[in-house]
Amino acid sequence: MNIQQYEPIVGIPVIGQLRRLGERLKGLRVVHVNSTAEGGGVAEILAWMVPLMNDLGLDTRWRVISGTNEFFSVTKAIHNGLQGYSVLLKKRDWDVYQDVNRENVKALKDELEEADIVVIHDPQPAPLLELCTRRRGRWIWRCHIDASHPSRSVWKGLKPFVEKYDASIFSMCQFAQLLRHPQYLIAPSIDPLSEKNIDLDDHELDAVREQFDLNPGVPVLVQISRFDRFKDPVGVIEAYRMVKKMTPVQLVLAGGGATDDPEGKEVLDAVMEAAEGDPDIHVELLPPAANRTVNALQRIADIVVQKSTREGFGLTVTEGLWKGKPVIGGDAGGIRLQVVDYHTGFLVMTPEGAANRIRFLLHHREQCGRMGKTGRELVREYYLLTRHLREYLTLMYALVGQTTEHTVMV
Amino acid sequence: MNPFDIMDCSLLIRMSGLPPAYNLRELRDRIAVCGPDVLYHHFCETPLSPTFEYPDHRNDFAVWASRRLSDKILAERLGAVDPYACPSIEGLREVVLDVIDERLSEVTMIPWARPGHEFYFMEATTLVFDSGERVRALRELPEAIGRMSNGSIYFHFLEAQRRQPVGMDDFSNWIGGFGKTGAPYVEALRRIDFYFYTLRELREELVRVLEPLRGKRS
Repeated sequence: MNIQQYEPIVGIPVIGQLRRLGERLKGLRVVHVNSTAEGGGVAEILAWMVPLMNDLGLDTRWRVISGTNEFFSVTKAIHNGLQGYSVLLKKRDWDVYQDVNRENVKALKDELEEADIVVIHDPQPAPLLELCTRRRGRWIWRCHIDASHPSRSVWKGLKPFVEKYDASIFSMCQFAQLLRHPQYLIAPSIDPLSEKNIDLDDHELDAVREQFDLNPGVPVLVQISRFDRFKDPVGVIEAYRMVKKMTPVQLVLAGGGATDDPEGKEVLDAVMEAAEGDPDIHVELLPPAANRTVNALQRIADIVVQKSTREGFGLTVTEGLWKGKPVIGGDAGGIRLQVVDYHTGFLVMTPEGAANRIRFLLHHREQCGRMGKTGRELVREYYLLTRHLREYLTLMYALVGQTTEHTVMV
Repeated sequence: MNPFDIMDCSLLIRMSGLPPAYNLRELRDRIAVCGPDVLYHHFCETPLSPTFEYPDHRNDFAVWASRRLSDKILAERLGAVDPYACPSIEGLREVVLDVIDERLSEVTMIPWARPGHEFYFMEATTLVFDSGERVRALRELPEAIGRMSNGSIYFHFLEAQRRQPVGMDDFSNWIGGFGKTGAPYVEALRRIDFYFYTLRELREELVRVLEPLRGKRS
């Protein structure tokens, strides 16, 4: 994996800029720490960020902490609490949280204390900072979670661990919390060369069409998401039914979902019930590795739907826009940054709103094309990994130079 | 003639520390006390920020007034504020407060944003670095601009307006050094209504305006 591969997509100036930043940070020792080597958004980001930072000249490493089941239950509860769910964490839970970090620091201490920059991802490894008493570099806490309305008790418990960092990074301003150090805003991104986003040929699309028994002559609506009530899959079916009364259409609801998650199972059951008896509704529980299938479905779609009532950044929207599709998105979270009425799609709040906008787009195909083009350019400009990487490098430069001035000549 | 040094820049956005504004009164009060970098960010750094560029309004306050407060009158007035026409950030602050105060005196109810649509005050650090590339002759300039990153276009054309000589972009400043040969191009650059271009569009417009230089000897 190297940065040059992205030049045909983002252009010479963007790659040149990254190379120049890389030159100035050459040899900088950076360590990223998280709690999982694969699966989940953070591991996905680090899987490209670490090799690309190295390709640009930095000395970047990725370390993963290990933990007990009890530890991961506690950190899952912290995660849920930051997302606003009511959770109760006892003193013993916070002790487990610290004990596991104490165990991990034994193997990591020297490397972390020597590093110029340490980036700690999410709450799991946050206590490492105060365990590395001889740290010489700058430490960043990167919060990937929508912490816009955290549970007060959970935030109160976590805050002492994160406020000692030199800086933190949040994905959106709405997610930032009041902390004493600077809070930087870096939006997430997609990798245009990943399985989920790379160009696919027509044969592959035809195969997926066949697999899902989709009629190539009838417009397709696609929502890719977990079966989670905040993604409102039942609302999408309602919207589809309203549209179908007026015009032929097919719906695909596909995504991962843990069958051991009682709430996910409940939502999936409700979706199956709502879809029952309609052969044009295709509900598919996809395995985590089905990235090419997701890619193909988004490319087959005439309109991508993401009717969430609550959302983080909404990278499925980014993916849909990158494939040149207009997106009907719920008026929530980061969807608002990406979906702009009449430019890249439509923001909606109800199944009725979604149905009206879908009908409008199905009858104004030239607008679909124009919006798709605008959306793809929006993503090219702001939501590809090259922008993400540039902002990380810029932040590292600013932190190493310890500057918060407005304009800094490098 | 000295070569033209191509610089590049990258923006690093951070929270300003001010609480968000939920209504127009709060927006006014925060603008009155915010740091100059906050005002500069929401007025001038929007082209480098990773958000959709609304063609109707080029500053974040106007976009918020239009989309979140649904106050089209205020949005139009704020959208008409040209930060590059103000002599200083304090001058800009005065103009913005005047527009908002006028609107507050007209409305019977203070417009509020729905929860989740508050205005967040941000600021940024701009890292400027030398690209190492040089333009040595006038005829090389259009092609060099065509290859420039958005950061370079921003730095040399927009950010430059704040530096000495104030109100002039770096390209005009350099071309002006070529005397009569450069004069018509300085004038053509001056006529670009840059406030309503995205950086990509601005780059294309600069290349279009300077295209005839490709044949010039200098």
